[in-house]
Amino acid sequence: MTCDEFGRVLPELEGGHNLEQRAHLRVCPSCSELVAELEAISREARFLGLEDEGEPSPRVWNSIEIALRQEGLVREPLTTAVVPFPRNVGRRLTWLIPAFSALLLILGLLVYQNGGRRQLAESRASGVPAQPASVPSVDEQQLVELVATGTPSLRAEFESDLKAVDGYVRDAEESVRSHPNDEIAQQYLMNAYEQKAMVYEMALNRSVP
Amino acid sequence: MYRKQVVLVATVLVLGAVLASGQTRKELRYKVHRRATISIMNPYGPIFVKPNPNKEIVIIAILHSDKVEIDPNQRGSRIDVVSHLLAGADPDSGRVDYELLVPVDANVTLHSTTGPLHAERLRGDVIMEGNTANVDVRDLTEGHVHIRTLNGPVTLTNISDGHVEVTSVSGNVALKSVNGPFVQVSSTSGMISYDGDFGGGGEYSLMTHTGDILATAPSYASIEVVARSEQGKVENDFLLEPGHSSFVARAGSAFAGTINKAASSVKLLSFSGKIHLKKRQN
Repeated sequence: MTCDEFGRVLPELEGGHNLEQRAHLRVCPSCSELVAELEAISREARFLGLEDEGEPSPRVWNSIEIALRQEGLVREPLTTAVVPFPRNVGRRLTWLIPAFSALLLILGLLVYQNGGRRQLAESRASGVPAQPASVPSVDEQQLVELVATGTPSLRAEFESDLKAVDGYVRDAEESVRSHPNDEIAQQYLMNAYEQKAMVYEMALNRSVP
Repeated sequence: MYRKQVVLVATVLVLGAVLASGQTRKELRYKVHRRATISIMNPYGPIFVKPNPNKEIVIIAILHSDKVEIDPNQRGSRIDVVSHLLAGADPDSGRVDYELLVPVDANVTLHSTTGPLHAERLRGDVIMEGNTANVDVRDLTEGHVHIRTLNGPVTLTNISDGHVEVTSVSGNVALKSVNGPFVQVSSTSGMISYDGDFGGGGEYSLMTHTGDILATAPSYASIEVVARSEQGKVENDFLLEPGHSSFVARAGSAFAGTINKAASSVKLLSFSGKIHLKKRQN
């Protein structure tokens, strides 16, 4: 199975993967990472009170998939020589902007729809300490390399900023999990994602020729 | 006669110094109509914008080497200028220093990785974006002000009737005498300081993840305030009347209430930084 074939069946993979799809995910890091990101979006949407309604409608996933195709993540198999890093990486990473924008749209709609009306059984947890820093994802590492290729002097600062916003996102996600009805916690989460989207956008604006 | 000779010699010396250093000075002039739009994309170097009483945009660019060129474009009253880096350019050789004179109602958009960026005494919309650029905006009225930096510090001074949005990841943001219908500042780890009236019956929102928030207001400020820090301390110098809201104030980490007639809405939110609503000593 190729990446293109996998991308065609991606919107239909709500029930799990067959043998051929699992084999492709084992050997293809980019498709595997895409599935992980989409599953993370699905998990986070659930924490905002979608438990009674289930997952977002297939139309939402289709819209995300269309955006990813337009940005070239799900693409035709290469028939010519591979374009050397970092130009290929730069174009590949531009999918992150619409993916984050789609995530922000989903979260914004859920916050607007649910507001303070839902009552959940979870009790308020005591203050949650910040999560320790985690290892940056493959895409984030490639984004750092892309920034460093264009402007080496900015590498350290960009890495530091990316680490800071990742910490913000983690803390905000944890806060919403603990207090799903808390409007201020929801505002923190929206703000954290906006900050992260801004970091990606400004890095790619400076790096992609 | 003697003075003219001195001026001539000085001019020749200055031009000689510029040419010897490899720098090139370019001056561009454009006639424009009302609410002209000027956009500068300059990877390396400062951009200063000041008002011009005439209906004309004047652009003065100092190119620091032959490894950079500028590409200007005019379509009616829309002017775009891009500093185009050539092969082998770096932040020093690719630097261009811009000085702009624009009509007061012009809309200005500036992009620079290093900056600094400066705009003053304008009434149009101002958009600035810079990774590490030091951003300084002052004496603006009525327009929209949108600023984004990654770690460049931002200072806004004397902005009135403005719609202001500032986003910085780790740059400190300082607002002095900034009032308007909408003022929103968000930062991940930078500090936010506000010193003003919270006037105009507006909505003010200062939000950080780990940065501290220091808001200083006079005793006559008319605000409805909500302040909360999940893991940091909050301090309040005002005596607040309890407001009618579902907000639950927790001693030491949150407070909420109204001061005077509560004309403006103020939110001070930090995940783990300190928050202090300070009363200005007159």
